[in-house]
Amino acid sequence: MQNPYIPYPVEVIKIITEVETKDQKTFRLAFLNKQDEENFKYMPGQFAELSIYGKGESPIGIASSPTQPGYIEFTVQKAGVVTSALHAMEEGTKMGVRGPLGNFYPIEYLEGKNIVIVGGGFAFTTLRSLINYMIFGENRKRFGKITVVYGARNPGLLLYKDELEAWGKRDDINLNLTVDKGDATWKGREGFIPAVCEQVAPSSENAVVIICGPPVMIRFTLPVFFNLGFSKENIITSLEMRMKCGIGKCGRCNVGSKYVCKDGPVFTLAELDQLTKEY
Amino acid sequence: MEKRSIKKDALAGIIKKVAGDMLVYAPVKEEDGVFFRALGAGMEPQTTYANTKNAPKNIFFPHTEKMMKYTRTDKGMEFVENGDPAKDAVLFGSRPCDAKSFTLLDLLFDQEKYKDPFYCDKREKTIVVTQACVHPPYSTCFCTSVDGSPTSEAGSDVMLTDMGDSYLVEFFTPKGEKLLKYFGDAKPDAAAEAKKKEIAETAAAEIVSHIPAKEIKPILDVNFEHPFWNTIHQRCLACGTCTFLCPTCHCFDISDEVKYDDGIRVRNWDSCMFPMFTQETSGHNPRPSQKERWRQRTMHKFKYYIDMFGAISCVGCGRCVMYCPVNIDIRKIVTDISKL
Ligand SMILES: Cc1cc2nc3c(=O)[nH]c(=O)nc-3n(C[C@H](O)[C@H](O)[C@H](O)COP(=O)(O)OP(=O)(O)OC[C@H]3O[C@@H](n4cnc5c(N)ncnc54)[C@H](O)[C@@H]3O)c2cc1C
Ligand code: SF4
Ligand code: FES
Repeated sequence: MQNPYIPYPVEVIKIITEVETKDQKTFRLAFLNKQDEENFKYMPGQFAELSIYGKGESPIGIASSPTQPGYIEFTVQKAGVVTSALHAMEEGTKMGVRGPLGNFYPIEYLEGKNIVIVGGGFAFTTLRSLINYMIFGENRKRFGKITVVYGARNPGLLLYKDELEAWGKRDDINLNLTVDKGDATWKGREGFIPAVCEQVAPSSENAVVIICGPPVMIRFTLPVFFNLGFSKENIITSLEMRMKCGIGKCGRCNVGSKYVCKDGPVFTLAELDQLTKEY
Repeated sequence: MEKRSIKKDALAGIIKKVAGDMLVYAPVKEEDGVFFRALGAGMEPQTTYANTKNAPKNIFFPHTEKMMKYTRTDKGMEFVENGDPAKDAVLFGSRPCDAKSFTLLDLLFDQEKYKDPFYCDKREKTIVVTQACVHPPYSTCFCTSVDGSPTSEAGSDVMLTDMGDSYLVEFFTPKGEKLLKYFGDAKPDAAAEAKKKEIAETAAAEIVSHIPAKEIKPILDVNFEHPFWNTIHQRCLACGTCTFLCPTCHCFDISDEVKYDDGIRVRNWDSCMFPMFTQETSGHNPRPSQKERWRQRTMHKFKYYIDMFGAISCVGCGRCVMYCPVNIDIRKIVTDISKL
């Protein structure tokens, strides 16, 4: 019987320090066994347990897109035991990955619709996966307009800078970057995400918004989208709860009758309304 | 169904004989109570105990369990092997409430997607021999309020019923029939069936605790924010006794233990009663006080488990009632909720 607790062995093949504070890094992992890579079929929005023997495991959203074969990526904020151990790693180290876990962004539902993506801070990871998925080759035709609003406290804290630049040059993404406070080199917008969303004012006509970020950001941004006419069915977000097993057994991550690890982490606001507010 | 009849004084000998051939867990007297233990040489299995202090769930879901082993290499720690495989075993003398708890744990651990290999391996290899409660042992027993009974068959492969001068032995499953050879050839007499029925009725009638456990789900559905939740948790010490003794509680933690170059990943029982259970690294805790934790415990047993699996996650064994150091009584809580 396949043991869902045993991680696939992977090697850290690349580490990218994303931000100037150096506490957010992207880890590129390659499977040591080809078969495991095939078993690890994922979709944007899913997460995995990054597993370091001797330290423990942490649930982390998958930041790469399934359209990028050969490796998977995770962007990790240094926080406690496991994430600090990760940050201390060097390229070439072996570790483990358990997954893919959880549900994913409802790609089929998103097809044919205009997509608005709103990300704040380092919660941008699975949104990046989704964007890369949607703009990849022939995939792009399956979706309508793509509008992105992504912000961080300052320019140094924006993730995936090379990619942002490349996206900015495409005419099939409306990319809106913003920082709370710019610096000498920053030529883009300044302002909080809710205000920028108000200015960009994407139409709610045949549109879905996917929003991830710190709770306060979400709290102030939601009214903007309600005013624009988005229904709760068309606002999608991703929840975080403390996790261990990631497969609905250890009883830790439930919100009401749903396990965030198994039934989530992706929910529409309409679905969240059915749940208790215990997250 | 195969049935046998054995003399009452033959039982302990039979248990020991089985223990000579395979792993047997049986109730054993120890310090201040009776506990399930792997029966070793010189240990005396109890046949006339009320109930064990601990639920037998730890036979399938141990308090602490090795999941895997790993070792240090120059490229980091690497996987060595899985935890220990289960052995063929017999669990002797669980009570019907505890046996029923296995069917509830099966719903969680034995799902099609994500089967829990540690639990399922042990569960599949263990024969459950239950001792019917001819006289329900405690005033705190309330199995009949949660779809159980003192003679319920749920979760049992074999059942022993004390018929006065003999035991009626019923083999409910093919797995249980593997033990047939130990129980001799004597079949129960013609009157046994009627007598067992009578015993079942008398035993059920002797249960004194009755609670409206099956009626509160619709009330819980709409009362997450009710002020009632402010009233039950105040004296709770967050000791976790109720959850550790509970036959159906299944929450666990996963942690790593390393000694020099070798390590193991283990899972240990955890408890929703503990403040750190849901606390995130940021300090944020979705269940910040004992109020939310008690609400979670109640909701999980009498609402969430029904939503998820269609069954109440309580078997009415009464252990949490008996052993809570500050006398928080789930029977009272359920009854109070029914009046909200
Ligand atoms: C679905 C999901 C996706 C996530 N995606 C990312 C991501 O892309 N990048 C990122 O940096 N962080 C992400 N997190 C948060 C990340 O899991 C925690 O920061 C991390 O587990 C902290 O672990 P630690 O060992 O460093 O901290 P410690 O405080 O030492 O934590 C001990 C253990 O507690 C658990 N835990 C603690 N906090 C959390 C938490 N907030 N969420 C879940 N489990 C927790 C973990 O099992 C962890 O190993 C995500 C969380 C979830 C639930
Ligand atoms: S046994 Fe009693 S005091 Fe201990 S956690 Fe349970 S309810 Fe609280
Ligand atoms: S993380 Fe174990 S149940 Fe969700």
